[in-house]
Amino acid sequence: MGKKLIIILGFIAAVLAVILAVTPLSNLAVIPIIVAFVCGLLIIFMSKKDKTKTKSIQYIFLMVIIALALTIYKSIYYTSEVGDIEQLEQRDEENLEDSKELLEDIDIDEDL
Amino acid sequence: MKKYFFVFTLLCGLSITAQNNTIAFGEKLVFSASYNMSGILTDIAEVKMETSEVKTSKSTLMRLKCTAATYKKWDNFFKIRDLYESYVNPKTLTPYLYKRDISEGGYYKFMQYKYNHKAKLVKSLKRKKRKDGTTWDENKNVKINASTKDIVSTLYYIRNLDIHKANPGDQQDFIVLFDNKETSITLKYLSKETISTKIGSKECYKLAISIKGSDVLKGSNSNLLWLTADENKIPVYAKFKIPVGNGELKIQSATGLKH
Repeated sequence: MGKKLIIILGFIAAVLAVILAVTPLSNLAVIPIIVAFVCGLLIIFMSKKDKTKTKSIQYIFLMVIIALALTIYKSIYYTSEVGDIEQLEQRDEENLEDSKELLEDIDIDEDL
Repeated sequence: MKKYFFVFTLLCGLSITAQNNTIAFGEKLVFSASYNMSGILTDIAEVKMETSEVKTSKSTLMRLKCTAATYKKWDNFFKIRDLYESYVNPKTLTPYLYKRDISEGGYYKFMQYKYNHKAKLVKSLKRKKRKDGTTWDENKNVKINASTKDIVSTLYYIRNLDIHKANPGDQQDFIVLFDNKETSITLKYLSKETISTKIGSKECYKLAISIKGSDVLKGSNSNLLWLTADENKIPVYAKFKIPVGNGELKIQSATGLKH
C-alpha cells in the first residue's frame, strides 16, 4: 500500500518537474525534482527489501534526469534579457506626440 | 485660537504646494521584477522609470514615464509591454495628463485622463481592442478630489515627501484615480533600515503600503517599499505579497539623479 502511494507521488512529482522545467518557471522545478528523486530512492529501497522489480523507478528517474538537465541548461544559458521593444518604443513616441498636442491648450497653475 | 488656525492653514498650504526638490529631468531608474517562491527567484520583467522635459508653446512640463517589458523567455508565454505616463508640473508634481497604454498577453487597453483641477474634473478616455482588431472608445467625466492623482504621479509624489520629518508609525493617505475610480492608498512609515542593493548598501526608509477596500495587496505591513534615506529618495526595493509567494522589484541602476 505504502509503496503504491510513493510510486504515485513520485510519478506526479516527476511529471510536474518536467512541465515546470519546460516553462519559464524552470527554477521552480527544483522542488518536484527533489521530491521525485527521494520517492525514486525510497522505491528502490523498498523493492530491494521485497526483492521485487519495479519498472516505475526507471520512468521516474528518466523524467527527473530530463527535468534536471533542462533546468540546469536554462539556468546557465538563459540570461535575463528584454526581448523586442520596438513596438513599445513606437507607442511611446506616438503617445508623446499626441500628448504634446493635448497639452498645448493647458495652462499650468503655479499654485497647484 | 486664531493663531493656531493660522498655523494650521499655513501648514495645509505648505503641504499642497510642496515644492519638488527630489526629482530631476532626465532621471532614469531601472528595476528587475521577479517572483519569489520560498527563496527561489524567477526573473519576470524589466521595469523602467524615466523623467524627461516636455515643452509646449506655453509651458514646460515633466514627463514621468514607467515602462514594463517581460524578459525574452516569457515573451512566448505571456508578453507584457506596458507604458504608463504622467505629465506633471515640474515644480509641484501636479498631474495634467495621464496615459496608460498596456499590452499584456494579447490584451490591450488604453486609458487617458485629462485633468481640470479648477473644475475638479477628469476627462477620461478608455480605448479597448475588439477581437477583430478594431478599437472602441468610451468617454467619461469623473469628479475628483483636490488632491487626487494618478498612480504614476503618486509614486513620484511619495518620493518628494518630507519623510525625514516623520516618526515611525506615522501614516498618510493618498487618493489615486485608477480605472475611473478613486482609491485610497495608505502609506505608513515603519522604520529606517539598511539594505544592500545593486547600487550599494543604502540606509532606507521602510514604508508599508495598503489599499483601502481592495484585496489586491494582501496582509498588513507585508507590502513594503524601501526609499533611500537621502535627498534622492530612490525606491530601491519593493516587496508585494501575492497569494502564492512574493513579487519583488529590485533596482538595477539609477542615473541622472538630482543630488
